[in-house]
Amino acid sequence: MIERLSLQRRSLDRYLVLGLLCLFALAWVTPLAIVALSSMKTPREQSQSGILALPENAAMILENITSASELSGIGNGILSSLIYAFVGSFTAVIVASSAAYSIAMLKIRFPFFWFLIIYSGTVFPFQMYLMPLFQMYQTVGLYDTRFGMLLFYSAIAVPFCIFVFRNYFIGMQGEVIEAASLDGASSFQTYLRIVLPMAKAPALFLFVTQFSWIWNDFLFGQVLAKSDDVRPVMTSLAMLSGTYGKGSIPQQMAGALTASIPTLILFFALQKHFMQGIILNTAGE
Amino acid sequence: MQALFRKIEPYLYLLPALLLVGGLLLYSVAHTLAISFTDWDLITPPRFVGLQNYIDAIRDPTFTRSFSNTLIWTGGSLLLPVGGGLLLAVVLERIPGQRVLKTLIYLPAILSTTVVAAIWSYVYTNNGVLNETLRWVGLDALARPWLVFAPTNTLAMIVAASWRALGPSMVLFLVGLQTIPPELIEAAKIDGAGERLLFWRIKLPLLRPITAIVVIMSVIGSFMTFDLVWVMTQGGPGRSSETLAVTMYRQAFIMWRMGYAGAVAVILSTIVIAFSIFYLRETLKRSAV
Repeated sequence: MIERLSLQRRSLDRYLVLGLLCLFALAWVTPLAIVALSSMKTPREQSQSGILALPENAAMILENITSASELSGIGNGILSSLIYAFVGSFTAVIVASSAAYSIAMLKIRFPFFWFLIIYSGTVFPFQMYLMPLFQMYQTVGLYDTRFGMLLFYSAIAVPFCIFVFRNYFIGMQGEVIEAASLDGASSFQTYLRIVLPMAKAPALFLFVTQFSWIWNDFLFGQVLAKSDDVRPVMTSLAMLSGTYGKGSIPQQMAGALTASIPTLILFFALQKHFMQGIILNTAGE
Repeated sequence: MQALFRKIEPYLYLLPALLLVGGLLLYSVAHTLAISFTDWDLITPPRFVGLQNYIDAIRDPTFTRSFSNTLIWTGGSLLLPVGGGLLLAVVLERIPGQRVLKTLIYLPAILSTTVVAAIWSYVYTNNGVLNETLRWVGLDALARPWLVFAPTNTLAMIVAASWRALGPSMVLFLVGLQTIPPELIEAAKIDGAGERLLFWRIKLPLLRPITAIVVIMSVIGSFMTFDLVWVMTQGGPGRSSETLAVTMYRQAFIMWRMGYAGAVAVILSTIVIAFSIFYLRETLKRSAV
């Protein structure tokens, strides 16, 4: 009898906890709903209607995005950032996989030393890069160019990619060398025809994580670019928002929403990879 | 000739990575270190001043405030996303519908810090979400300008940052909890251990490796806080909400005091790298084969 009572109490507790958790999760995502709602209002409607009131005309969001884009160049920013994120993470994956191939599978001296040199690029705070890059970019004419941004984004993504590829390649060493030596392939053929195709999983995972890192970057866009054509999306969004922003609230929220679409799509399409990503990022598997 | 190429060839695969990382990143680290010992405004040639910038920084009250703000960020991030994430993970672990709740809580982590800053600027502004909500429920007395006075502005921004950081730390703790063998928990339960005892005596000690990583990452992240503060307050008003990274940026790109900014960057890096060494030891230990 006592046993049954305590069991009942325990399941009651469980429902209570579940209810509280649901409320918490709901409150947690409320800001997202507010962003969506405010992005569809006129500035006047926004200040007069309640925060959770439905917008009168949802198509207002298009007007808000257009005017936000005129104000901050966020439209150009989206285009630039798409280029940076696609090409930058692709370049990093190729460069890092070939370096990791050399470190893990080819005969070089001091492989661990080379690995540490490149991997050390993950250790320093970004503040160590800002001034020399700014000065160097000014001197050699890379400042405020798309090529300069691409070069930097590729470089910053390489160290972490090397880390993941090296781990992966060390794990598959035996099979590759066996397969390659059987048909007498050169080392480049081995890399292109055997190693890369086998490394599809880490390559895709790295492409996704580095894509969203580059897409989400604000700081380096702020330091290395200034014109509307070159400035990445988040740096443009920052011009609209915050205490010193020049956009109205609906413009800010429309900008924030638009700027989040690519990473949201990636997340829901590849949720598994994202969750794996933070685990790999931290634990190094 | 061919023999020579054979010897060099493996290094050619390494070359692009070395050029990118060495030429842009590692070169910059060395240069910033050098800049920190000079007086330089980017226009006139740099002048060697030894440790003067470091002495100036330590004596400068804005640096001291920036440093203590950074410590508040560190403490706040350990309490909210890390402590909160652990609590949530333990509670969520045995709940049906865990997946949906997990995804909802993780959702803000996908947004960029800039987007989070934009959203929470609206939350905190005078007629913003928070003040309107407080007035609506009749707590008018609590409504205030959240981003104007220190230390409220820093604390308010820590809450904003935690909104983004809670999900990932919760997921990591959930992964850690899954690695605990269920037999161990069962055995303890048979011995009559309650939930509380189970948590303190079994789960928490077994989570130690994950906890170490989450804590170190959180500390490193706090010390590098920049985007959120810069977008929300630019470190103001009156430089009251600056963190070390914001101070560095302001000194370099607003005041053009490159030497001083370099010193701040080096101090910041020293602290971050000290923590990174713990972190690297954990990760390299796992990856070394």
